[in-house]
This record gives sequence, structure tokens and C-alpha cells, in this order.
Amino acid sequence: MSNLRSMYGIRSAATIFTYMLQNVEYAPGPYVRWFWRTQDFSKVMYRRQLDLTKAARLIRLALIAGMTFQLVMGLLLLALWHWHGWMPGKYFGPILLVSYPLVWAHVVVAPLILGRELKVKPQQKKHITASKQIFEKHSAVKIAIAGSYGKTSMKELLLTVFGEGKKVAATPANKNVAISHAHFARKLEGDEAILLIEYGEGEPGDVRRFSETTQPTHGIITGLAPAHLDKYKTLQAAGEDIFSLADYLHGQNVYINAESLALQPFLKEQYQTYSAADTLGWKVSNVDIRLQGTGFTLSKGKQKLAVHSQLLGRHHIGPLSLAVALGLELGLSEAQVKAGVAKTAPYEHRMFPYKLGGAWIIDDTYNGNIEGIRAGTALLAELPAKRKMYVTPGLVDQGNEAESVHVEMGKLIAAAKPDKVVLMQNSATKHIQAGLESAGYQGEVQVETQPLDFYQNLEQYVAAGDLVLMQNDWTDNYA
Amino acid sequence: MKTVAVIFGSRSTEHDVSVVTAIASIIKPLELSKKFNVEAVYIAKDGAWYWDETLKDINLFSKGKIDDWLRKTKPASVQFDGGMTLVKEKGLGGRSVKRKIDVAFPATHGTFGEDGSLMGLLRMSNVPFVGCDMDASVLAMDKVLAKLLAMTHNLPTSPMQFADKAGYENNPKNFADACEKSLTYPMFVKPAHLGSSIGISRVKDRTELDNALEVAFHYDDKVLVEQEIPNLIEVTLPIMGNETPQPALLERPLTQAEDFFDFDTKYMHGGKKGKGNGTAGAQGYSELPAKLDPKLYAKAEKLGLDVYKALGCSGLARVDMLINSKTNEVYFNEVNPLPGSLYAHNWREAGISSIDLVQKLIDYAEQRWQTQQKQNTIFATSFLQQF
Repeated sequence: MSNLRSMYGIRSAATIFTYMLQNVEYAPGPYVRWFWRTQDFSKVMYRRQLDLTKAARLIRLALIAGMTFQLVMGLLLLALWHWHGWMPGKYFGPILLVSYPLVWAHVVVAPLILGRELKVKPQQKKHITASKQIFEKHSAVKIAIAGSYGKTSMKELLLTVFGEGKKVAATPANKNVAISHAHFARKLEGDEAILLIEYGEGEPGDVRRFSETTQPTHGIITGLAPAHLDKYKTLQAAGEDIFSLADYLHGQNVYINAESLALQPFLKEQYQTYSAADTLGWKVSNVDIRLQGTGFTLSKGKQKLAVHSQLLGRHHIGPLSLAVALGLELGLSEAQVKAGVAKTAPYEHRMFPYKLGGAWIIDDTYNGNIEGIRAGTALLAELPAKRKMYVTPGLVDQGNEAESVHVEMGKLIAAAKPDKVVLMQNSATKHIQAGLESAGYQGEVQVETQPLDFYQNLEQYVAAGDLVLMQNDWTDNYA
Repeated sequence: MKTVAVIFGSRSTEHDVSVVTAIASIIKPLELSKKFNVEAVYIAKDGAWYWDETLKDINLFSKGKIDDWLRKTKPASVQFDGGMTLVKEKGLGGRSVKRKIDVAFPATHGTFGEDGSLMGLLRMSNVPFVGCDMDASVLAMDKVLAKLLAMTHNLPTSPMQFADKAGYENNPKNFADACEKSLTYPMFVKPAHLGSSIGISRVKDRTELDNALEVAFHYDDKVLVEQEIPNLIEVTLPIMGNETPQPALLERPLTQAEDFFDFDTKYMHGGKKGKGNGTAGAQGYSELPAKLDPKLYAKAEKLGLDVYKALGCSGLARVDMLINSKTNEVYFNEVNPLPGSLYAHNWREAGISSIDLVQKLIDYAEQRWQTQQKQNTIFATSFLQQF
């Protein structure tokens, strides 16, 4: 009943459709897929409300006007049939009355597609072409960072460390597609010593195109895991696209994460690797992992460097070692890299520790891939606590690999031996449970049907001595 | 799933505190546990009982909508059918809706609730209920009886005088004289049955004593006057369990002797009347755990547990104690058989989450009830046949 009210109430339907469009950043494809996947429209606006921006107001107004018009037309046709015996009114009137939400849910994307094709895309193309010249003329060391995961963290980490001794500019936040690179180029001052450019691959050919535009001098490949498989189809195809960065650089100044098993088949002799054991000839020892951060010593010949970061977990040691090694190669002093590493700290929602009700919570809800799950569960296993809890809805965008990835995830969780696992109920739940079961998990499993309720009341579930790891969070369009 | 009735409100000066305890500290975690059907049973200030889902919403109370809601709603009734069944009329036709209660969870503070009245009713209806049983509640809620009982168990407590209203009103001077004769200033004047520090005064001379007695007898029909413990450290210890009680952490409210926790400090001003840095708990700022010498900490913890056992407490209670920091003497002060918000903040620090806490309390209630069921309450005689 509430579903019907949401769909046929003109104002509520217009608000819901606009909300869905806003949530997928007005991308027609994801919006239409979400629309057809939705079984109950009354539950779509679950986590937040529509943000009434100018665009949202305009779209909602157009939807209200369109649906009202169709409703009036339907009634008019019925009236013509009723009072004047106009037979087409008998058939078309009800059709118009019944179909108005469905029709306008789809009609609304037409101007978006037209606007995107006729205005936005040509404008973006112009900016991207202009940015190619800016990058070409810029004399800075240009480090491109690609990979299915860990690239934003790597970029932020390099920015913090290199920033101690050099003028560095980096693409902002997770703005990592061609138009973001173009906007980044326009804002450059020209005297930067190092540029850090993040590549956010989405479909085959993306990384090659990014490389040709930004013309990097160095490349870092952070990892490969199932992501965007709706476009890439296979992990191999995603890997080939990511490694087109290495091809662009002819294998020179290419740094690969040796801890990402999926990258191994793509390795070539001229590539250099980084890991928690060995990075560009630097050996790692004296590793100390706590909730307050990660410390370790790097040694190369007689040179020794003890560093401490506020970042959590063993998986940060490789990237931190690379930041140290590359920083020294690029002319930073030991004191500068050490100070830079000390400043590296977790970002909100990325292995971000905080205290709640006496318990330690590690918020890793922006994590969205199996390698992140591997790192997180390893950290959970390693840290001491009176009681451990693991919370996740699973991973999105896993394509045909969804089942195997989630079974693997279940096994990784089981290996961390948490006392309790909380799963947010969705299509991935049964696969994670299968993984837990196959690994012989003995602890308590709670399947949560009201995720928001759980997150908002987390304090009620925890006590002093508890350690809770929360990995990934599904937005409304995935739930 | 078992049905748990959370009973709150009631004809008490602590009615509002009870609403917060029930909704925030009991209903919420019980529902989050997903192991119980939770029914909200509200006793209005006029004593009428209401049972409705709407009562789980704190906004109904905090935004002043409750009076309007009560005007439009018929009170519920209770059917005693070898247990306890809630009954209410629903819809236009007045269809009768019933719900059998498996466990009752009293969340009432002060009179007509925490004082044993509600426990007696629940005992009579043979339904398991959370917290102290009737007799322990009666003892705990009468500060005079609790102290007298502690004395008979040789548990240290501060010197006191007490009087009932009739006796006092016959000759107020006599009682004040007796207090001055056996106690020294400063003293505390307390109504014997009220919690949340209502009606309590600290007095330094005869004029203040007379005024304070007037105030205290305005609230209660029994009043006690205690001698102040010098070099005071006030501590409180939440305890739960039946035969083998388990303490939480000794907590020290951060106040000075002269600005003891009155009602406003506890509930209205976030406890910021006191000085120093501490943890914001259910009843203001406190030091948790109390920073005491380990030997003194252990001594206070032992006294708390001894008092809990001496009074026959079960389920949950909080024992308040006073420490003379120079002599390291610990004195029993009073027992609160239903601490506000269950003292969940303290239990959390002790490693027990709010959800675990309410579940444990339900387990204790059922254990006690099962033990009671084993006791024979029937004695076969031929007495009736003789008539």
C-alpha cells in the first residue's frame, strides 16, 4: 500500500525519482537500473532526504508538471468517452492514468541524456584537450597512481610525505576521471615540483586515455581486485587497462604493489615493487602495530630509518615504505620523510579509529574491495581486544564474481576470529554466511535488517574493551 | 520471542526520570537485541495504566504531547490469569487486544514503583520481573530501615536520628534537640523514601536544621538526619546478580561536599555543578573508575557487595557509600534498587554493553522466578472440611 502511495502520489513520486537521480549523480544508466531493481519505492529514501539543489528543484517541478498533465489528459479522455461516447477515450484514458509514474520516471532522463551529449560532453572534451597541453608543458615530476583500490590513500600519503620538502599538487579527494584531471590542470600554478594524479578507471581504455592526457613520468599501481566488472567483465581486462600506464612509461619508473596477488601475472622484470618486507632495496623490520598507529624500521646497507605513522595496519607499510624511498630519491632529507610519515593519519571512513562507549571502533566504511577486506580482517586479528566484532554489508560492483568474492570474504572474516559478525541483509549475505560456515566460524552471526538503525545505535552494542571493525557501507542505490 | 513489558512513569516525583530510563536505557536496547517483543506500559501521573507502541517515542514526552495523547486514549487494564496479560481496546469497534507478558521490566523510580509497590503486584501476579524483589525494594527505599539493617550486620554507616511525621509534628523541638545532642554539624536532612536527592538539605546550624526538617517532612512522612562524614569522597557502585552478585566500577561523582548532587545537578544541568574533569554519565560528571588507592577501592567494593547481600538485593541495585579520605573509613550511605538509566554508562565501562545488560537482567529475573517456583506455597489441611 505504501509502495502504491509512493508511486501514485505525484509529489512523492517526483521527490523519489529526483532523489534517485541525485543519488547517482544524474547518470541515466545507474538511475534506470536502480528504478527497475526497486521493489518498494516507499523505502528508497532511507538514509537521507532529497537535497533541494537548484537542479533537483527543477527536475522535481518538471516531473510534477508532467505527471499532472498526463493525469489530467487521462481524465479528459475518460470524460470524452463517458459523455460523448468517444471510444478511444475508453482505452487510452485508463492507460494514461495508470502509467504516469512509469512514463515520467523514464521521460525525465531524456533531457539529461540530451544535455550530456549536446552540452556537457563537448565542453568536457574541450577542457581535456586543453589540459593535455598544460601537462605537456609542466616540468614537474608527474606521478600517476592507478589500481582497483588504495590509490586515494596512496596519493594522500605521498602528498603528506613529499609536502614536507617539495611543492606538491594532487588531484583532489577521489576526483580521478579525465574531466577532474582537466580541472586540476587548470588550477596548477606552474612551479610545482611534483604532481600526483589519481586515475579512476571505469571502463576499458580509461587508463590509456588518462596517461596520454596527463603524460606521467612515474607510475604507481596499487592493486588489482574485482571492481567495475560490469564494464570490464573480467579481472584480466581490468588489469590490462591498469597496466597500460606501465606500457605508456615503457616500464621505467613503474612501482607495483607486490602484496596484490592479482597483479603478479602482469609483472615484468623492469618494474620495481614495494611491500611490507622490501621496497626499492629498503628492508622492513621492527614492525609495531597498535590502535595508535604503525611503526617500523627501514634499512638499506648501513642506512637505517625508524618511522611511525598514525595509519593503522600492516597493509600501510608497503605504501609508506614507497613514500620514504621515493621521497629520498626525489631529494627529500631523512628528517623530512620521517616528519612526513609521522603526519600521515587515517581519513574519515578509511581505517579511522575512534572511541565510542569505551570501545574502539575502526571505521573502514569507504573500503569497497576484497583486498581492503583482507587488510582489515588481518588488522582485526592482530589487534588485542576483550571482544571483537566485525560489521559489513558486503561489497558492491562485483559483477559475476559476486558469489566467489563474498564467499572469500566470509573466509577472511572467519580467519580473523571475531566474537560476533554483523551482516547487513542484502544479496551478498548468504554468500558471506557460506564463507563463514565453510571456514568453520564458531562465533555469533547477526543478520541486520535495519542497517541504519544499527549504525545509529552502535553505542548500545559495545562496551569498554570491545574492538569493532566496520568495512564498507552500501548506499541506497545498492541496498 | 518472549514478551517483555517495560513499566514506567508512575505517581512519583521521579516520574520524568523514569520515562528516560525506560525509553533510552531499556526499550531501545531490548528492541535492538531483536530477541524480545517489547511492550511499553506507562503509568500516568494520576495512576492510570496505558499500553501502546506510541509510548516508545521520547518525543511524545519531551515535546509535551503526552497530555493530549492521554486525553484521547483509553487506559489499558491488566488481567491476572495465573500470570499477567495486558488488555486494551482498539479501533472504532472497541476490539479487545491482549498480550501475555513473559517478563516485566520495571523502570519506575521512587514511590509507587521502586519502593516495592509494583514489585508486590508483579509478585502476586506470578510474573518474573527485573530488579530487586519486593522486600529488598522496601528496605532499600527506606533509608532508615536500610541503615538499621546495615547496623545489625555490623556494616559501617554514618550516625543518624530519625522521626516520623506524626511524632515530629507533636513536638518538633524535641526531635531537633535530639539531633543536636547526638550529632554534630554539619548534618544532612533527608526524606526517608525519596530518591534523586529530592528534599535533601545540608545544614550548619539550628535555623537551617529546622527549615530543612520542614522541607523534608513536606515530601515524606519519615525523615532522617545524618552526621556529615568529614573529608568526604562520595562513591557509588552498581551491582547486578542474584546469589553471586557482580560489581561494575566504583564511580565518584565530581562534586564538593557543599554542593552534593541535588535533583537539578543530577538531571537538569548535566551534573556540571561539581568541579574537575570527568566522564559524562547518566547523572552528570564523574570519575570512572574512582581513582582510589587499590586497598581503599577493594574495601569500598566489598562493603557495597556486603550491603547488597545484607539487604537481599537481586537483579540490579546501586550502593552509595561515603569515604573519609583522611581515615580511609568507608560508610554505607544508601541503596538505589533501580538506578537511573540502569547506570548503563558505568556497565559499559565495566565491559557490558547496554544490550547485554538488559538481557542479563532479564536472565536474572527468570532465574529468581524459577527458584521461587520451586518453593512450596501450598499447605494441605482439612481445615475447610471442618466447616
